Amino acid sequence: MSFLWLAEGAATAAGEQNAVLFHLFGLEVTSVVTTEWALMAIVILFFFIATRRLERVPKSRLQSVVEFAVESLYGFVKGQMGEERAREFVPLIGSFFIFILVSNYSGLIPGAGHVAGFAAPTSHWSVTLGLALVVFFATQYYGVKKQGFNYIKRMFQPYIIAPLIFVMNVLDHVVRPMSLSLRLYANIFGGETVVLALLVAIPYFLPITTLLLELIFGFIQAFIFTALTTVYLTEATGEEEE
Amino acid sequence: MTGVALFAAAAIVALAASAIGSAHAQGKTASHAMDAIGRNPEAAGRMTVPLLLGLAFMEALTLFVFAMVFVLAGRVS
Repeated sequence: MSFLWLAEGAATAAGEQNAVLFHLFGLEVTSVVTTEWALMAIVILFFFIATRRLERVPKSRLQSVVEFAVESLYGFVKGQMGEERAREFVPLIGSFFIFILVSNYSGLIPGAGHVAGFAAPTSHWSVTLGLALVVFFATQYYGVKKQGFNYIKRMFQPYIIAPLIFVMNVLDHVVRPMSLSLRLYANIFGGETVVLALLVAIPYFLPITTLLLELIFGFIQAFIFTALTTVYLTEATGEEEE
Repeated sequence: MTGVALFAAAAIVALAASAIGSAHAQGKTASHAMDAIGRNPEAAGRMTVPLLLGLAFMEALTLFVFAMVFVLAGRVS
């Protein structure tokens, strides 16, 4: 009987996730939005505390951890697009990584998706599509800003098959946010669904295996999103590499 | 058979079929990557990013089917 109860609970929880909590300036505020606010507050508070008393040689463990994280992110972006552009784009790319990582892991906390006002943001397409659209517009903006007319011109090269290649390029750019957002959303949402299915089948110990995998996937998906963002921005802002 | 049952069966078949393709491609990629690392262990660090990106693109194909199943599930009556 308990299985039936669990299955029923799971079914209603999926519907409740999209329930509107309250209205703010005429906009619907759902559990996803409140969780996003909470995560943003936590991240901002954490980095505020970690960088409050900076020292040249870090004495506190917190500063060492944050320095390691920021340096790895910076090193990765620098390896892809070079020193000069890395300094400009690390704030954007790093924010994406940290926010997606925290969002992915928030789905592993017990109660996520079942308690009102608490649901993993990246398990909803609306959130990931928003993130991907930011990447899309950033790519176009920085492409035109850095390369000017060349950015448009490169979409037609080689000129022999200009009409065809232009259509292909436009299609490529339009599909990118779709694939970027669907990949992240489907991974996190799919993981949650599998955990739920295993929970309904055998409630004890079996879901742990998938939860462990989710720990790895959460990191990998955040990394893939940032890596693809880096690749797109590198490609848009110039072909030369040092 | 009702429409929902038919849809569920079709969805399972579609997911399984796409998973076979993705798994095959990913297995091939991973095995070649392992071969390469075995031959040249120093290159492991530089291979990680392209490898993960390649795997992500293959993984995405199955996930697209998964997402489509959920999108279309709302229309079945």
